[in-house]
Formats: sequence, structure tokens, C-alpha cells
Amino acid sequence: MRRRLAITAAAAAAAIVIAGCNANPTTPNNNSSAPAAKGGTLNILSSGTEMNFDPATSQSLAITSNGLVNRRLTAWQNGPGKPATVVPDLATDTGKASDGGKTWTFHLKPGLEFNDGTPITSEAIKYGVERSFAPELSGGLSYHKGLLVGGDSYKGPYSGKDLASIQTPDDNTIVFKLKVPYGDWPWIVSMPAFAPVEKSKDTKPAEYGKHPAASGPYMVESYQQGVAMTLTRNPHWKQSTDEVRVGGPDKIVFKLGQDDTVAAQTLISDNGDAKNSFGADFVPAAQLAQARNNPQVASRLVTSQPGAVNFVAMNTQRGALKNVKVRQALEYAIDRKAFIAASGGPVSGSPATTLITPGIAGRQEYDLYPAGEDGNVAKAKQLLAAAGHAHDLKFTLITSNDSMATAQAQAVEQGLERAGVKITLLPLDSNAVSERVTQGKGDYDMYLGSWQPDFPSPNANIEPLYDSSQIGNGGYNTSRYDNPAVDKAIEQATAEVDRAKAEQDWAAIDKQIMQDAPVIPVSYAKNSFLHGSNVQNFFIGAFPAYPNYLKVTLKQQ
Amino acid sequence: MTTAAVEARIGQGPLLRRLLRDSSVTVGGAVILLFVLTAIFAPVLAALEGQDPYTYHLDTLGPDTAPAGFGGGISADHWLGVEPLTGRDMFAIVVFGARTSLLVGVAATIVSVLLGVLIGIVAGYFGGWTDRIISRVTDVVFGFPGLIFMITLGAVVPDSFPKPILLIIVIGFFGWPSIARVIRGQTLTLRERNYVVAARASGAGSGHILFSQLLPNLVATIIVFATISIPGKIGAEAALSFLGVGVPPPTPAWGRSIGEAINWISVDPMFLVVPGGALFLITLAFNLFGDGLRDVLDPRTVGSRA
Amino acid sequence: MTAVGAGVTSDRSRRVLAYLRFLAGRFGGMLLVLLIIALISYLIFYVLPSDPARLSCGRPCTPDRLAEARAFMGYDQSWWRQFLAYLVGIVAGRTFGSGPAAITCSAPCFGYSFRLNEPVTELILQRIPVTFSIAIGAAVLWLILGVSTGVVSALRRGSLIDRTLMTISIAGVSAPAYLAGLLGIFIFGFRLNMVPVSGYVPFTQSPVDWLWHLVLPWIVLALLNAAVYTRLTRGQMLDVLSEDYIRTARAKGLSERRTIGRHALRNVLIPVATVFGLDLGSLLGGVVITEKVFSMQGLGSLLLDAVGNLDLQVLVGVTLFSAFLIIIANFVVDISYGLLDPRIKAVTR
Repeated sequence: MRRRLAITAAAAAAAIVIAGCNANPTTPNNNSSAPAAKGGTLNILSSGTEMNFDPATSQSLAITSNGLVNRRLTAWQNGPGKPATVVPDLATDTGKASDGGKTWTFHLKPGLEFNDGTPITSEAIKYGVERSFAPELSGGLSYHKGLLVGGDSYKGPYSGKDLASIQTPDDNTIVFKLKVPYGDWPWIVSMPAFAPVEKSKDTKPAEYGKHPAASGPYMVESYQQGVAMTLTRNPHWKQSTDEVRVGGPDKIVFKLGQDDTVAAQTLISDNGDAKNSFGADFVPAAQLAQARNNPQVASRLVTSQPGAVNFVAMNTQRGALKNVKVRQALEYAIDRKAFIAASGGPVSGSPATTLITPGIAGRQEYDLYPAGEDGNVAKAKQLLAAAGHAHDLKFTLITSNDSMATAQAQAVEQGLERAGVKITLLPLDSNAVSERVTQGKGDYDMYLGSWQPDFPSPNANIEPLYDSSQIGNGGYNTSRYDNPAVDKAIEQATAEVDRAKAEQDWAAIDKQIMQDAPVIPVSYAKNSFLHGSNVQNFFIGAFPAYPNYLKVTLKQQ
Repeated sequence: MTTAAVEARIGQGPLLRRLLRDSSVTVGGAVILLFVLTAIFAPVLAALEGQDPYTYHLDTLGPDTAPAGFGGGISADHWLGVEPLTGRDMFAIVVFGARTSLLVGVAATIVSVLLGVLIGIVAGYFGGWTDRIISRVTDVVFGFPGLIFMITLGAVVPDSFPKPILLIIVIGFFGWPSIARVIRGQTLTLRERNYVVAARASGAGSGHILFSQLLPNLVATIIVFATISIPGKIGAEAALSFLGVGVPPPTPAWGRSIGEAINWISVDPMFLVVPGGALFLITLAFNLFGDGLRDVLDPRTVGSRA
Repeated sequence: MTAVGAGVTSDRSRRVLAYLRFLAGRFGGMLLVLLIIALISYLIFYVLPSDPARLSCGRPCTPDRLAEARAFMGYDQSWWRQFLAYLVGIVAGRTFGSGPAAITCSAPCFGYSFRLNEPVTELILQRIPVTFSIAIGAAVLWLILGVSTGVVSALRRGSLIDRTLMTISIAGVSAPAYLAGLLGIFIFGFRLNMVPVSGYVPFTQSPVDWLWHLVLPWIVLALLNAAVYTRLTRGQMLDVLSEDYIRTARAKGLSERRTIGRHALRNVLIPVATVFGLDLGSLLGGVVITEKVFSMQGLGSLLLDAVGNLDLQVLVGVTLFSAFLIIIANFVVDISYGLLDPRIKAVTR
């Protein structure tokens, strides 16, 4: 999914490696497994201009900023180069399924408290989830809203009603009733909406996020709009109940509104406060080049493994693109080498040929349209001629107007034009882009997009992009792909509770969809982040392609 | 300055000779001519080099996607080096970029001047309520943060409308108040001149007075003002390109290149020097030329230059 | 028009009344202009193809949820109803939604930003110190710089100093602000590590840091804008120096210093003050790019963000504020022009 950088990525930076709980193997990056040290003030430089910790409106990953303050029923555990696994957080396990996967039961660990000493009960979690349904607080990850019974019509607790499908038989038990069997429910309850909310503090819901009741190792100390968000230790957080967070620094300061180039330069220079800082935004291509030429800086640059997939969605319901042969021809014309160069070179990505992204269990590598690193122009021309469209194709390509996306779009354009196709670029503001491709009637030909699943399941890569129910109306099926056979296969795989069988099903669906070539997968993005010389335990797991803020610590002088 | 003195100065020697004697005019004018020719003959110049601004040359880039080689990849094939990340030829980008800057800059100035003169003359000549309303309208346009509206309008207008024309209209539109004010001021003065009063007394229509009596006397001011406005318009186009809302890529635009190049300054300074230098030079040239022109044509400042 | 003696007191009170009526008229005109600007802003942003409610819609965003979000924010009404609600809010405050989760925005309410969860009035007040620090500091600097170089240039007309100063000022005016700013950051900030490269420190927090963070933006802006004042001052100065009353002063034997200081400068400064007043009014437009380049959270960057994120209410609110500044500046300049310039004073008597 399109990741809004900065705020969403600005998550916990420090999580001390818990001795014994997660024995990290030694890795090449010598900063990623230093012994846990407590103390210091960590700075996180972000280009975002606002920040709040309201669980209902958050779309962030479980291992970034929101996770520093808000714990959920489950959490993600990952290590350097290791994929994320779902582990219990506030709950004692990752949930017990019954009723064929339609009912899920969780028990809370004993002794959990908010930052003011109030015990965390299942009621608090129920209230937190219900609150996310309120129209005033819409804006967060909403997967659960379509899955809970009665979720479609529920309008939140402020209307005086509660959601019956969330049951709390006692203070430590919570039961969820779903509309359909859903094997990935343990991942869903790791999302921000499942953080406990103290009802007595929720007197002004719109402002709750500025001073929420904290369940994590940190709580909000102060917020200066657009300038800085300061977190300080939560005295009631108990390390013994938390296996994914470390609570290293004494204070964490998010510095907002930083220009990403200036921030990267600041980190490269490593002067003063920059030593205790890291950047929440990707390092821009120019600074990547700077870093690679300087070994001292290169040692502080951490690059992820391939993660989000960049793709060109072709509107399968429009004009010449309705013809599968035309789309398959374009699969051969694409110039992946130029695209990767435009993104910043081999350090910024690797070629993509599958729909399921790397780092997801069950993914199988394959290439249905082998075109070499910069495309097979001759074959593309041949296929186009066979389809009867040798010279007359004209398409517009919509892209976001930030500099990376425009550079990538130009690479796509020059690649496809070699096969005789005329491409006109249409860079638009990212809101205008979303409006165009996820709502409306689909009056566009092609769209350059990228997708990282919200949780590491093949489901999150396939269903939102290729299920016909996700066309328009805010859904991300931007290729407007409508195949009833695929829809059925998706439904069956979603319900499958046996993990191994599900993985095989999803891999098969991946290939099945690519036969119809609704999109051209171009590259898997590798994200790079910079940190200062005092920052330790800063690593990026195999999924997601973002640093784990919960485990970062500072070197003590 | 008395009227007689003013009249006498204007008559001092043939205009062309006086223009050519002024060093600002000659130097500025020569550079402008150079850029105009470059813009017109851009494809020819690029063909001389054997390149175009769109083709990628990935083989000229090093492994870190910065251009390999000295000066950002200067070579016999690429006289001013190549662009990072794509390998596109910088010389071609700069000469084609001149087209964008000059086209938008000059055309936007024409729009401003046309609007400004018309509105200014009408306000100054008719006075009274017409003047008051127009002054309020001028205030309104002055009151808008122009840059913001230019960005927004770029988003509002449908994509079928060609972006360069939209830019010309928008940048031109926000420029008319300053010209209108000056013209209005001058018209107010000229209105009381003997020959105008006489023409009015003898029954000449307003249109006739405006066009054959007032306008010719404003020509000098108009030309000077127009020339002085051009660099501002070129700068506005570059600023919009810098912010990412100018002419869409891959059409070369100096502002956009500058915006990208500033990030590469430690690794490939040539990438900034080439379009940055070009923008600076042409703005400087127009400023010099306009200054010199004003000194020669505008009677009030005669004698203020050595 | 000459008042010949009789009834001086009533004459003066008539003049005062006339002046007050003039002021009231201008004030009314100002309100009208602001209203029109608000209307046009609202219309333009309303017409945008993107839906501002999408930002608050969540992922996945279904049409139901989108409709709920729009209803909550009031974007489901017709544009003139929205505009009316906005105007009423300025006077009487406004409430969004209902029940315990309702958001109240107390009067004067220039809108509410759902993205930043703050009333626009709050946002503007928070950011005024930043923008004003940058703009006024730079303006004072470029005024001093420009006027002094202009005077020196005029006095030493034709000399090397004159030519050098004029060349530098033309070069200054030809460089784009963002380019100069970014180069400044790179050279003096990163390479030489002499000044901080970004951020604003409030004066109340640390006056020294406040100054230090502003040095680079001030110098960059001043160098680029001083040129206008240099040329203006120089031109005016040369004009004035050739006037009769200066020659008279010199003939009377007054020292050069007194001649320039007392007689010439006063008349030079009037048009300079006019231009300066108008410049101050449009300071908001000038600092937008500067704030972006130096990562300072002022009104300019607020506006830029709001455009990118379709924060309609912030856009209209800040546009109104900026227009207000310009119009006030114009107004003050007009009034003081009338009060200061003796020739104009005589005409209106």
C-alpha cells in the first residue's frame, strides 16, 4: 500500500534487545546487535508536519512510532534481515480460533497498566476498537471494520451504542466475532486500532492523540505543532511483559518539518545532535551517492532488502489495454534497468516479476515474461504487431509529482516508447492521484504505483489489488481487473486456516493473475536510512522495509 | 523637470545611437540575443552535438548513478556532461530549456502588459468611480498570494489544457497590477496636458484620445516596464518548475533541473552550474538591458547615469 | 480651495469630519475587498478535483465512510452554504459534528484544520512569530543596505564604487532566492559549519539561537532584495540633488552633511518608504520559498502544505490573513502619504 512516509514511518526508534528473549545472530552491520543500553535523548528527523498518537486515526506500521506509545493485542517481532512474525503483546498468545475461524478469543497478561497506573482491561481494548468506527475519527487502518459482524453500520461509541461482536466476558478476556473465517486475524489485531484507550481520558476525542493514555514504554510529554513531538518514559510499562520493545533512550524527540535532503545532509555530517539521530525518511538518491563515496558515512547507512513493489497498472477496462495481448507485449517493452537507475541505482531496488513481494512467507519466484534487464524491444514490437497495434498506441501515465516518482515515470516512458508506444506523462499531486485511480470511473490509461502490504501475508498483496470488489470506491485495484475465477480463488485462500496450504494457494493465484498481465511489476524498492554514530541496534528486517524503532538504543558515553 | 527640459532631452540625438552607447544595453542585449537564438535553434544545436534531451545514456553513469568522469561526465559526445540517474545530455537540456523559459517568460509579460496598460489607462483617464472600482480590484489581485494560486490552478485545470499556456496565463495575470498602477499614474499626469485638454474641448471621442494622444506618450514607459518585468516572469516560471508544478517532465525546464541539481551539489556540481548559470545569466541580461533602456528612454532619469 | 480666515474652528472640524469619512470609506472598501478575496478563494479551492475528505477517510476508504467524513466536515453542503457557514464562524465560532466527539472552534473561527487538528486561528498565531521574524528582519536589513548603498552610489556618481555597487545589486536581483538559499546552506552550513542549517528557535527560548538560525535567511533575502532599494534610492537621490532647494542650501553655505542629511534625504525617503510599506505587505508571498528551503514552520510553509494536502480551511484562512496584511499596508501607506507629503497635504486642504 502507498506508504505515507514521515509520520507513519516515524515510530519507535529504540527497543533494547532483550537479553535471551531474542538471541540475535551476529550480522554484518555491527550496530545492529550491541548490548542493550539505557539512557540519552534520541532524535528522529521527519519531513512530516504533524503527528499524533491516536490509535484510531493511525495508519502506521506496528514497529514504528505509534508502537512506542500504544501496545496492541499482538505485535511484530523481527530482527536484522529476518521476516516479521506475529507474537503476543498485551495478549498471552496470538489468539485462539474457533467456529472455523470466525471467532477469535484472546486473554490479557496480568499486571498491565496505563501510564497513570490504571489497569488495562479488555473493556479498554473494546472501547479503542469501537472508537475507530466514529466518523470524526476515521482515517486509520480499517481492515477490521469490514470483518467484524455489524461493522458496516456501526458508527462508534459516541452515539451511545456499543459493538456487539466484540465481547468482554471478564476483565481479561476479549472475543471477536467475524463475518467470514479469516486466518490472518492475529495480524489484524496488531494494528493501531487495537490499542487500549482509557475512556475517562477520551473527553475530547479529536484531541486524544495529543496526550493519549500510554501502554507502551513511552508517553507524550509535549507537542509543538509542526515542530517537535517529545516522548518521555512511561513509568508503568513493565519490560517483563513486553518482548518486542526495549525502551532504551530516556527521551525521544521527533523533529518535524525537516526537508529530506537537508536532514540527510545533517545525518551525513554527524555533528552535535546528529550523532544521536536517525532519519525517518528514505535517503534521497543524491545523498545515497554521497554516502557510498564516503566509508564513514556508508557504515551508518542501512538498506532494506527488497520490499514494496513498484508497478505500472494498466487499465484493463479501457481502450486498447482491454486486449491482453497488448498488455503482454508491454511486459516485454519495460526497461527495468533505467527504472532502477532513476530510483537511485542498484542500491535502491531490484527487478520485480511477481505480485507477491519479497519477505512474505510462501512467495515463489517466477518470470512469466522474461525480458532481460532492460527489456526485449524486438519481442514487444512483434507482439504488438501480432495484436494489430504496431504503431497507433497512445497512453497517458499518471504518477505522483514528487521527484522520485517523476524520475521513475520518465524511465517507464522511455522504455515503452522504444516499442513504438507514445506515452504522455501526467504528474499530479498525490491526493489528486488517489482520487483519480481509486475513485471515479477510471478515466486513465496507466498508473505508476507502489504497494507494500500492511501486514506480511500474501493476502495483503493480492486481495486489495486484484479482487474485483476493490475497483473504485476507494479500493486499490487500479488496473480494474475483474476475473470471477480469481475472485473465487481469493475467497477460498482467505478462509484457509492452515498456513502451509494457504501459502501454496496464494502462490498459485499470483501466477494466475499474471497470465492476464493487468500490471507490469517493475522493481522491488530497497529503502535506505541514515543514522548518527551513537545510534545502535538500528536495523531493517526482511519485512517491512522500515527500521524497527522499538529496538533502537543509544551508545552511552 | 520642466516640460521644456523633458522635451529637449528626448530629442537629444538619434535613439539608436544613444542606445548603443550605453554599455548595459549593449552587453545585456547581446546576451539576450544569444539566448534567443539558442532557444530558436535548439534542435539544430543539439543535432550538432548529436544528442537530444530525452534519450537515456545509462552507460555514462557510475555505479552510484552519478555521472562518471570529470565535470559531471564532460566528453566529446556530451559537451556539458550528463544528468545523474538518467544520463541525459545536459547541453541539450539547457538549450531546450531556454525555449521553455523564454517562451513562458516573454509571453507572460505580454499578457501582463496588455492587461495592465488597458486597465491602467482606463482607470487614469476616466477617473471617478471607474478609477475607484479598478483600484479596489487591483488591491484584490495584489492581495492574493500569487505563488499559491499558481500552484493550485495547476491542480484545478484539466490535463487536456496545455500546461505552458496555463502557466503563461496565470503568471501573466498576477503581473498586471504593477504595470497598471504605473500607467494609471502617468495617465493622470498626461490627462492634464495641453494637447489632451484641447482635443477634449474640440470634441474628440475618448477612444481617439486614449489611443492616439495618450498611448504614444506612454510607449517609452511601457517598453521599459515590459523589459524590466521579463526577468521576474522567467523567475516565476523557474520557481514553479522548482516546486514541481511547472511544465511537466520530460520537457526540459531550468527550474526543475535546478531543483534536482541542488541535492547533487556535493557529488556532481556541474549539474547545478549548467542550468543555474543559464538562468542567472539570462535574468542578469534582461535586468541590465532593461536598466539601460530605462536610463536612455525615461526622461526623468536622464543625467542620473554617468 | 482656500479657506479665507472666517470660522476657523468650524473649518477645522469640517476637515476632520471629511477625513474621518474618507477613512471610513477606505475601511469599508477594505472589508469589501477581503470579502471578495475570501469568496474567490473558496470558489477556486472548492472546484478542485480532489476531495479533501479523502484524507480523513482511512484505508480502505469506502464510499460510505467517505460520505460520513464529508458530512462531518461540512463538505457535503453547496458551496455558498459552506461559505456562509465560514463567514458566520468568523464572527460567532463554529461547531463540527455533534455529541461528545464534536469539535468546537471558538470565535473568531477562520476554519479548522482536520489534518492538523487545530483551529486555523491557532495555527496562524503560532506561526506569525516565525514569518515575521524572517520577513521583518530581512526587510530592515535590506532597507538599510539598499538605502545606504544607493546614497553612496548617488554621491559618488560615475566612480568605481558606483559602478561596482550597481553591478552587485543587479547581480543580486538576478539570482533566484531558492538557489541562493540552498547554496548558502550548503556552503556556510554544511561545508563550513558556521551557521545552523534549518529550524527556527523562538526568541523567548533563546535570543542567541533565534538570531543564529535567522542569520542565513536574512542575508540571503537581503542581498536579493536590496538591489531594488539601491536603485530607487540612487535615482531619487540624483533627482533631488539637482533640485533648486538643494542648490539654495549649498549656496547658503550649509555643510554637505547637513544638506544631504536634512534636506535631501527626507525627500528621498518618502518614495522609499512607500515602496517599503507595500513590500512589507506582500511579505507572505516572498517568504514561502525561503521557509521551505530553511525548514522553518511559518505561514508560508503552512500555506504550501495546505495546498499539497487540500486543507481547504487553512488555505482560505491564511490567504485572507495575507490579503489583510497587504491591504492594511496599502492603506497605511496611502494615509501616511497623505499626511507626510507636504504637497499632497496642501492639495487636500
